[in-house]
Amino acid sequence: MLNYLEVLDRANSGPYLSEENWDLEKVAMTARRLVKKYKVEYDPNEVVTSDPAIADAIYQAGYEMAVELGAYSRSTERIIQFSQDEIDQGIRDMPQTLVMGEGKDARTLRARRLDDDLPPLFFGGSPGTPIPERYFLPNVISYMQEPLIDLATCGTLTEVDGREVRTGNPIEIVSTRRELQYMRQGLKRAGRPGMGMLAAQSSVSELGDLAVAHPDYLRPCDSHLVPVLNELKMDHRNISRAVNSLEYGMINASLPCVIVGGLGGGPVGSAIINVASYLIANLTCLADYHILHPIHVRHVATSTREVLWVISATGQAFARNAPAIIVADIYPKSGAGTKELLYETAANAIVNAVTGSHLEGCGSADGNLPHCSGLEARWMAECALASHKMKMTLKEANEWALKLLPKYEHVFTQDGNPGLPFDQVYDLQTIQPKDFWLEMYEEVKTELKDMGLKV
Amino acid sequence: MSEHLAKVIAAIIDGDADAAEESAQTALAAGLDPLQILNEGLMRGADDVGKRFESGEYFLPELMLAGRALKAAMDIVKPALLEKYAGADSQVKGTVVAATVQTDIHDIGKNIVASMLTAAGFEVVDMGVDVPIKSIIDKAEELGAQVIALSALLTTSMPFIKDLIELLKARGLREKYIVLVGGASVTEEWAKGIGADGTARNAAEAVKLARELIGA
Repeated sequence: MLNYLEVLDRANSGPYLSEENWDLEKVAMTARRLVKKYKVEYDPNEVVTSDPAIADAIYQAGYEMAVELGAYSRSTERIIQFSQDEIDQGIRDMPQTLVMGEGKDARTLRARRLDDDLPPLFFGGSPGTPIPERYFLPNVISYMQEPLIDLATCGTLTEVDGREVRTGNPIEIVSTRRELQYMRQGLKRAGRPGMGMLAAQSSVSELGDLAVAHPDYLRPCDSHLVPVLNELKMDHRNISRAVNSLEYGMINASLPCVIVGGLGGGPVGSAIINVASYLIANLTCLADYHILHPIHVRHVATSTREVLWVISATGQAFARNAPAIIVADIYPKSGAGTKELLYETAANAIVNAVTGSHLEGCGSADGNLPHCSGLEARWMAECALASHKMKMTLKEANEWALKLLPKYEHVFTQDGNPGLPFDQVYDLQTIQPKDFWLEMYEEVKTELKDMGLKV
Repeated sequence: MSEHLAKVIAAIIDGDADAAEESAQTALAAGLDPLQILNEGLMRGADDVGKRFESGEYFLPELMLAGRALKAAMDIVKPALLEKYAGADSQVKGTVVAATVQTDIHDIGKNIVASMLTAAGFEVVDMGVDVPIKSIIDKAEELGAQVIALSALLTTSMPFIKDLIELLKARGLREKYIVLVGGASVTEEWAKGIGADGTARNAAEAVKLARELIGA
């Protein structure tokens, strides 16, 4: 395996290129050329393609991009080049199983295949969403207490003790440690102290992340994020996160948030960049698993047709060609207390589960507002497990997505659909959903059952 | 419309910098008024690109390429404008210093707004990401800018936008600049609360707002 210090050396000595030229002449032009070369077209009525040739072409094109471009160091404005052998070794080294958590609460994530006998696992929480400190603890418990949830994640603390958190400021250390204190406390209260976590979400710079690499906070059996910047870029701050895990042993989750409609152009180019991002993240992020979280350039949400296409194509590309542990984020446009959130979550959960991913969610209301709760995570798991139990085919998953899309697509043309904050959909004392929210959930569940989903 | 102007427009829409330069040169050589080339050629092409982006037909690379083509053509047209019209610099709607504030490295939203403002005729100096607030103010002072456009995606970076406005006040410079703010979590209420001049929900609205506030 490539010595990680070699990656740092290359970031310091690789060929110089301005960032604008990396974006346009390398990433955008290569994506454009590969889209033409592989002749793949996006079909808004086939958000889950059943054509294996498309998934394979996306994989091959992404592989070609990774070998040809490598990564870009924003800190040094240099290209971090990799040989084809190094990319191949990174693929061979992708973990096929990964234990997270400890004791009876530990779970084993596996690299899923299409038609996998093993169901996906579920990370519960609203990843990265700003959550007020006054209800951070009940919020995380609302997910941890859900029996179908296997692993925990959380939002971001934006204030501690009434003080505004600023990235890179010493208070980021305090906020990230406070987040982990709440998480560990939440796990104990939910009776699942050994549950694995994807946390340190309050660490936007490397400061917070470094400050919680301690068994009292983020244990070696937990994971943290090592982002890939848009597109195919790294910087020293994020490389520090990976370096810090070398001896301590934290699990690295690579996070490329490919912009659909960004440098890759439409969904096809974006899926190609997503594949390439994972292949370079194997080396630059020392990724143990990969987060699948494309972002729509205008609507953000993962439930749009374009993003569903990217998710399903990327998931299938890896499941067929190079199985990897992929965890797909669900970031619906709508917030808690709305029916649309439940429809969006159902569509996303079915597509993700059938195309080889594990699931994480939900970053309700675009993950912008604290309008999220454990109930939609329960629903995410129920829908995904139903698709697994029904042995849903790719074609059927597409049919489900097409049935669900008209139920929520209007939220993309209106001024959002933010719903309500956590404290208005859950009772903060009992940490249970309020009646109206539970009734709404039951109503949608009945509706989808009547449509044939075995939830 | 003249064939020459049609070629200028097409070059901008295609994001072809060479064609933009060549068509601008040909149009000038054919005796077209540089102001007409600017307004009926370059700006029309830029408007078209903006509309195509908003409708989802164009993506970020097309927007960035159109910006490059526009700049290449302007390098040809601007000297002719200066020669023919005294004070032709007034054709530029205003100078904008754009940046993603310190600690935040997200740039897609800022890039889109910067490209759209350029396409709308503003002189945009894009300082990039993770830019210290002091440097942003210093750059605006150095360039004599009218607008400071700030972006922060992260909620924990947003306070630095507030800090910049406070620093402008402390340095007695607040009234000199129109401060526009943006980012996924930025709301009108928040923008108003920190004393910004405005925010917009998308790039097209940002251009409209900049035009309104600067009186262009």
